[in-house]
Amino acid sequence: MTDPSVAPTHRPRPSVPDLLVALGVLLLGGLLLAGTLQIPFGINAVVGPRAFPLIVSAGTLLLGLALLVSALQGHRAEPAVEEDTDPTQPADLRPAALILGGFLLGAALLQPLGFVLGTALMYASVGYAYGERRLPLLIGVALTVALLTYVVFTRGLGLSLPPGLLNGVL
Amino acid sequence: MEALSSLLTGFETALTPMNLLWALVGVTLGTLVGVLPGIGPALTVALLLPVTAKLPPVSAFIMFAGIYYGGMFGGSTTSILLNTPGESSSIITALEGNRMARKGRAAAALATAAIGSFVAGTIGTILLTFAAPAIANVAVQIPPSAKFALILLAFVTISATFGSSPLRGLISLFFGLAIGLVGTDLQSGQARFTLGVPELLDGIDFVTVVIGLFAVGETLYVASRLRKGGANVIKLAGNARMNREDWRRSWKPWLRGTALGFPFGAVPAGGAEIPTFLSYTLERKLSKHPEEFGKGAIEGVAGPEAANNASAAGVLVPLLTLGLPTSATAAMLLAAFQGYGLQPGPLLFVTNSDLVWGLIASLYIGNVMLLALNLPLAPVWARLLLIPRPFLYAAILVFSTVGVYSLNNSVFDLYLLALFGLIGYGMRRFDFPVTPAIIGVILGPAAESQFRTAVQASSGDFTVFLRQPLSAFLLVAVLAALVVPQLFKARARRLAAQGAGTDETKRA
Repeated sequence: MTDPSVAPTHRPRPSVPDLLVALGVLLLGGLLLAGTLQIPFGINAVVGPRAFPLIVSAGTLLLGLALLVSALQGHRAEPAVEEDTDPTQPADLRPAALILGGFLLGAALLQPLGFVLGTALMYASVGYAYGERRLPLLIGVALTVALLTYVVFTRGLGLSLPPGLLNGVL
Repeated sequence: MEALSSLLTGFETALTPMNLLWALVGVTLGTLVGVLPGIGPALTVALLLPVTAKLPPVSAFIMFAGIYYGGMFGGSTTSILLNTPGESSSIITALEGNRMARKGRAAAALATAAIGSFVAGTIGTILLTFAAPAIANVAVQIPPSAKFALILLAFVTISATFGSSPLRGLISLFFGLAIGLVGTDLQSGQARFTLGVPELLDGIDFVTVVIGLFAVGETLYVASRLRKGGANVIKLAGNARMNREDWRRSWKPWLRGTALGFPFGAVPAGGAEIPTFLSYTLERKLSKHPEEFGKGAIEGVAGPEAANNASAAGVLVPLLTLGLPTSATAAMLLAAFQGYGLQPGPLLFVTNSDLVWGLIASLYIGNVMLLALNLPLAPVWARLLLIPRPFLYAAILVFSTVGVYSLNNSVFDLYLLALFGLIGYGMRRFDFPVTPAIIGVILGPAAESQFRTAVQASSGDFTVFLRQPLSAFLLVAVLAALVVPQLFKARARRLAAQGAGTDETKRA
C-alpha cells in the first residue's frame, strides 16, 4: 500500500561516494590483475601460482562492474547501525581522523619511547575523540591502563613488549 | 558407543583443576568482553589470542571453548538492556527482549535468554558429540575436488547470508581472498603481491586483519557517529529469574529454537541469523498470545536465543570434522588451531583425539559454568554497560595494539592494522559485511591448495569438478545457496517487520 504522493516516480540520482566505492573495487581488481601477470608461471606444475590469483582478480573486476551498475542505477549503501551510533546524526570525520593520527603517532613512538607511553598516547587520543574533556583524569587513566597492560602481558604472560624509556625501571 | 568412551576420556582431560580454571577464565572473559558493546565473539577470541600464547594447546582450546560460548551469553545481556544487537543474530533478542525490559521484566528476559542458551548449548553439544565422529569417519574419504567445492559452498553461503546483499558479501569475500594471496606461495615458493616489502613475504596475519576490520574499524566508525547523551541502559534490580508462568511459556520455544538452530549451524548454511528469524516467526504462529509479539513476548526471546546458541554448537561440527568454519568466530578458532600447527579436519580426531574430546567435554562444563555465572551475577554484567564510552573504546584500541604487536614484535604490523581499520571504517560506511572478508583470508589459501591438488591429480583436466559426483552435487548446492537464503531472509524480515509494524500502528 504505497502512498503515491511519496512514492519515488523516477530513480534517485547516483550518489558520488557510492560510485567512488565501485570504482575503487574496479581499481583493486585492476591492480590485482597487474600483480597477477607479474607472477611467473610455475615450473613442473599443471596449475601454477598464477591460476588462483587470476580467478580472484577476474572475480573482483566482475563484482566491481556489478557494483558500478548498481550505483549508476541509484542504489545507495546504508551506513551500518552500531551499538553506540546514532543513525540520525550527520557523520563527523574529525574524531576518527584524530584517533587515526594518535594511533599512527603512538605506533611510531612505540620503539623509541616504549610501549607504555606509546599506547598511553593512543588511549588518550581515543578518549579525547570520544568527548572526554577532563584531561588530567584522561591522562591519568591512559597511563594507568597502559602500565597495567604492560606489566600483565610482560610479567604474567611472558610477552615481550618494548620497554623504551622505562628500560631498567620495570 | 565409541563416542561415549571418548567423551569420558575428554572429561578426564577437562576436569583437571588447571583445565577447570582455564575454562572458568574463558567463560568469564568471554562473558565480560561479550557484554561490552562493539565487541562480538569473533573479536573476543582474536583479542584474547595473545593471552594463550604460552599455554599448552589443550588448555588453550578449553579456554577458547569458554570464550566462544561466553561471548554468546554476554551478547544477549547487551541486546536486552541496551536495545542494540551486536550481531545480526541478536536482532530479535534486542527487539523483544528490550521491550520486555522496558516493561520492567528485564530479569525474566535475561533469565529466559540464559537458561534457553544453556538448554540449547547442552543439547547442541550432545548432538555434536555423536555427529562429529560419524562425520569425521566419512570426511576422511572426501577427494580434493569435493573439498574445494565444499569450501566454495561455505564461501557462497557466508557471503549471501551476512549483510544486505549477496553482491556486497561477495565483494567482501574477494577482498579477503586477495589479502590471503599476499605472501609466499607454499607450493612453488613464489612471492606474490609483496610489493617488494620483506615483511609481506610471510603473508598478512589474519589476526591483524580481524582486529583491524572489527575493532579499529568499529572504533573509527562509532567515533564519527557517536550517539550523544550516552547510552540508554535499562536498570536491572536483582538477579535474573523467571516465575512459573515464564517457565511454562519458555520451555517449548527453547526446544524448538534448538531444533532449528543446530542444523543451520551444522550444514554450512551461513550462521545464526536465519534460524533466529525462523524461530521468531514460528513462535509467533504457535503462540496463544500473538498480540504480545513486538511488545515483549517471552517466547520471542526464548526461541531465538536458543536457536542462536544451538547454531553456535552446530557450527563446531563442520569446523572440527571438515576444517570448515561457517562463522567469523569459527574462523578465528580455526586460525587458532593453525597457530598451534594443528589442522582441524577428520584426521584431528585420530591424531589429537585427547585435544578434540577435551574441547568437547569442556563445552558441557562451560555451559554449566555460564548458567551459574549469569543468573546470579546478571546485575554485575549489567554494570559493564555503564562504562563511559571514551574509556571503553580507548581500552579496546590499546588491547588491539597489544594483540597485533605481540604477533611478530613488529611496528609494521601496527601500520597494517591502521590500514585495515580504515578499510573496516569504509566497510561499515558502505554496508559491506566484514565476516566474508575474514572467511576469505582464512579459507582462501586452503581453497587454492585443494583446487590445485584436484586439477593436478587429474593432470590438468578442469572438468574434474563436474565429473566427481560429490563435488558436482556440491556445486549445485552452491547455486542453490545463492538463491534460497534470499527467499528465506526476505520472508523472515517481512514477518518481523509486520510484527514491529502492527505494534507501531496500535500505539499510534
